[in-house]
This record gives sequence, C-alpha cells and structure tokens, in this order.
Amino acid sequence: MMAKLAATRRCIVVLLMTMALQPFGGGASAQQAAAVSIAVKGGRFVPSEIRAPANRPLTISVKNLDSAAIEFESVSLRVEKIVAPGAQGAVRVRPLAPGRYEFFDDFHQQTRGTLVVE
Amino acid sequence: MLLARWLCRTAALLGAGIVVFGAAAARADDDSAFHELETKYIFGNFTVGSSTGIEGEKAFESENRIDLGKRGGRYGALQSVFEFEYTPNQFTQIEFGPILSAHDIRGVPGLDDRTAAGIGGFEAAFRSVLLDRGALPLAVTLAIEPEFHSIDETSGAHVVNYGLETKLQADAELIKNRLYLGFNLLYEPETTRNDLGGWDDESTIGGSVALAWQIIPNVAIGADLWYLRHYDGLTFRTFTGDAVYLGPTLYWKIDRKMLLSAAWETQIAGHEIGMPGPFDLTDFSQTRARLLFEYEF
Repeated sequence: MMAKLAATRRCIVVLLMTMALQPFGGGASAQQAAAVSIAVKGGRFVPSEIRAPANRPLTISVKNLDSAAIEFESVSLRVEKIVAPGAQGAVRVRPLAPGRYEFFDDFHQQTRGTLVVE
Repeated sequence: MLLARWLCRTAALLGAGIVVFGAAAARADDDSAFHELETKYIFGNFTVGSSTGIEGEKAFESENRIDLGKRGGRYGALQSVFEFEYTPNQFTQIEFGPILSAHDIRGVPGLDDRTAAGIGGFEAAFRSVLLDRGALPLAVTLAIEPEFHSIDETSGAHVVNYGLETKLQADAELIKNRLYLGFNLLYEPETTRNDLGGWDDESTIGGSVALAWQIIPNVAIGADLWYLRHYDGLTFRTFTGDAVYLGPTLYWKIDRKMLLSAAWETQIAGHEIGMPGPFDLTDFSQTRARLLFEYEF
C-alpha cells in the first residue's frame, strides 16, 4: 500500500509540474512582443478598436487622460490594470489566435473597446 | 443501450429547445447590453466552465454542496468548502481551503444514525488551460483536485480518506455573449483506510453536458445533465451502480466583485447492482444541490 501511495504522489507531482510549466511551453514567450497603445479620454477608449498581430505576445499601453482612475480589464484577454489619472500602465498578453477580444474599464463599465487580432 | 439512447434523446431535445429559444431572444434584445462572461461558474458548478480567471485576481469562495435522500429513512449531508482562489498567470488558477461537513441521518439502510457537524478535511484545486478559445469557439481546461477527508462525505463517520478529482472542463460559445455549451469529463479515484488498517479503493467516472443562456445582462439560466458510474477499486473492473442527474442552474454576477452560482439536480435514472428497481441510492443521493458565492478582492 505504501508503494501505491508513493506512486500516486509521484503521479500528482508530475501532473502539477506539467501544469505549472505549461504557460512557458511552445517557445512563444521567447518571441518579441508586439506593442499597441490606447488612451482613455472623456470616458471613452481612443481609439475604441485596436489591432494586433496573431500568435505573438502583446504589450498594451494604456494612458489615462481623464481625471478619475480607470481599471483596464478583459475577461478573454485575462488581464486587469488600474491606471491613475494622468498616468500610463501596461499589460502583457499571451499570444492570441485571430479574433475579436473585448476590453472595458471596470470602474466605468460603459467604457468599452475591442482588440482585433489578425 | 436504452439508457444511452434515452440520454442522447433528452440532451438533443434540451439543447435544441434552448438553442431555438435563446436564438429568438437574442434577436429580440439589444445585444450591446450583453458582455462576455467568465464561464467557470455559469453552468451551476457541477459542470464547470473553462475560464481560469484574470491574471493576479484573488477571491474568496464559499462552495456548499447538499445531498438529500437515500434508500429509505431521512438523509441530508452538507459539505461546505471555504476556498482562497488565486490566478497567478493567464494559464493557471489555484484554490485551496478547509471543508466543513454536517450530516443528519435517520433510519437509512446501511448507514448509522447521526446528527453531527465538524471540520471534515481539506481540498485544493489546480486548473490549467489546455486549449484557448480562439479560431474555434471551444476552450478546454484540466482541473486536478487533491482532497483529504477526515469525515466521510456519505456516512459522516470519522475516516482517513484521500481523493483526486480530475476533470476536463470544456465549453463553447454558441451565440456570442449569450448562449454557452459546457461539458465535463470526470475521473475521481479515492482510497479510505479501513478498520483492519488496509485501504479500500473506489472510483467514479462521469460526463456532463450543460447549457447556460444569459437571459438578462449578468444573469444566466440553464440546465445540467450528468451521467456517473461508480466502481469498487481504482480501475473499472467492479461496477457497483450508475446515476443520471438533471436539473436547472442559475448564475448571477451580482456586481463587479461578487457572483452567485447555483444548481439543483435530481437523479432521474440509474441502477444499483444487486438491487431491484431504478436508481443507485447507495453510491449517489436522490437529490443534490450546489450554491457558490464568490467575492473578489
């Protein structure tokens, strides 16, 4: 029984290590990140639609030109970042497949935009 | 074969009905009011969606499971897990926390009468994205959940039990931001120390299909169908019984930091080896329900 428990423990450790290392697989993280910029002005994203290449890591720079803090957030991009008034923040995004990805300001949820990956 | 045919027919009818109803409602409403949802809890939490959260997000969860009804007598069991959930990167999520157990058992064949509550163990979950939603509307996540129980989930007796719930959690977006299809595959081996000092092994396998329809912004309703098979031993040699559960689900994103997810399912078909009549009420309960509350901080 002890041998069986030890084997089970080894299996769990291997599975968890595989899961932990999965984000670094495929060599994608070694690619140079593409960069796109966006601003928030007057309660809107400017521009409201941004474009980026597919299958490359991406850095999105967000400049807040308003007088209130914003939180740049996206469910499908799986990122969030609070940006103080007048400040600039950046989020790093994994390589993406072609498609349209929504993002919004979590503090002012009517402020919305789209990332088009192609 | 009859059961499999019945399952296929029920799932097809259920799916077709919700797709038609959902599509009609989607055309009638203003789609701009509906935004994307994290899919993890939209199917009521027996079936779990693929979302692994937002990088850096931390949350507290109260996850409660109720089982009601056995073969005769009065049976009620509650397992509450108070979990800390953390998403360290865009591919992985971890959860861990203690389990509280409560049992109310009277006159159930094969179980001792008991009214008791206590700390019943500890569980963790490691979830990792296997397939990202992209060109295809399908996403798949692998979840591995090691568990330790000091109170038996079914009988409420003091035990030493280890389990490893392993699930493939997949979902597809059928209508953008409105209608989602979820499906899970489950393998859960367990081992429990017996009175003689040896270990008794058992395992459960199963699969599910669920639909969730965002009926108004931030509220989704749906249905969940599960098929479960129980075995003595860690492999599939000694089959002891199977069960089919069906029931409604509810998801409500209360505000930007809080959500609620609920499911209520009844055993509608099944069989226990060596027992006459329908249903397996030894390995499974007559009715099961889940209520989850999450607060993000």
